[in-house]
Amino acid sequence: MHELYMIVSGPMMWATCVVFSGGVIYQLGRLLRLLLRKERSLLSYMSLRYSLRSIAHWIIPFGTLNMRRNPLITLVSFSFHICLLIVPVFLTAHVVLWEEAWNISWSCLPGPVADGITLVVPAACIFFAWRRLRRPEVRFVSDPADFMFLVLVALPFLSGFYCCRHWPGYEVVMIVHIVSGQALLVSLPFTRLAHMILVWFTRSYMGSEFGAVRHARDY
Amino acid sequence: MMSKALIPLAVSAIVFFCLAMSFAQEDHARLDNYVFEKPAMPPALFDHDAHNEKAGIDDCAICHHVIENGKLSEFETSEDRPCVECHGLSPSAENAIALRRAYHLRCKGCHLDRESGPIMCGGCHSRGV
Repeated sequence: MHELYMIVSGPMMWATCVVFSGGVIYQLGRLLRLLLRKERSLLSYMSLRYSLRSIAHWIIPFGTLNMRRNPLITLVSFSFHICLLIVPVFLTAHVVLWEEAWNISWSCLPGPVADGITLVVPAACIFFAWRRLRRPEVRFVSDPADFMFLVLVALPFLSGFYCCRHWPGYEVVMIVHIVSGQALLVSLPFTRLAHMILVWFTRSYMGSEFGAVRHARDY
Repeated sequence: MMSKALIPLAVSAIVFFCLAMSFAQEDHARLDNYVFEKPAMPPALFDHDAHNEKAGIDDCAICHHVIENGKLSEFETSEDRPCVECHGLSPSAENAIALRRAYHLRCKGCHLDRESGPIMCGGCHSRGV
């Protein structure tokens, strides 16, 4: 177990960081290259003001008309994304690892709060899966990979919850936890999960076109 | 009839077992964590003598070291002083290795080097034992 832990927390973690950062840079570079080659005209009406206006409306819960029309999916989606980002960063066990390796630390979530919001992520994944199966307009654009991504996202959180409880065999589950987290990070820039990087540009484009060209709102 | 008569016996056996287990838990030595105001985890399981015998540690300075002018003292050890005296709770320029980090680097670091001993949270900060 020591050797396995050393491998997954050492070289595999470094490899994950390199692939993740490299992937993010590659995606941004690809986007810039495509923009300059195919959509150069877009630059003439890109507007910082309308970009920020669009991002602000779409990042605030119920900040758009569609969010207000569909309160359940808005609530679940925002809870999911907030917990998805907060838990890995502010979990005590993770902060301790940063502290051990780099001598940096920050505030941590209280244990019961962390436990609760950890489970929000897989619960939301179940909701998204149900929605993909039941709502015709979503089922129409769903393929098996979408369900695989839901499992991929839920797995680090479920396994992490298991490890935090120190339930039997958690040492093995910890390896699953680390590897599944790495798989998620590695796949992020190259799959539809790349919306984490690209959403800001999508909104900038939409906000600019709607604001500066059509003089309309995109929210 | 016979099975009904067995119920109080079974209940008594379960109660006795639970009591025995709860008293047995008291035997596990743990590190004193009184300096941490709101510890996030239960204190680490640590039976000093049993641990050192198993690990073959004779040199007290491995844990109870003294650093003088940035160098490990060859002759002095610090068993008579609490760890927090040198390893303060919060990291700073003067306190490069804060207490929590010092414990983790010392314990987990050694366990990883020797490929023996707990390396994950629950191995030391056990909730159930």
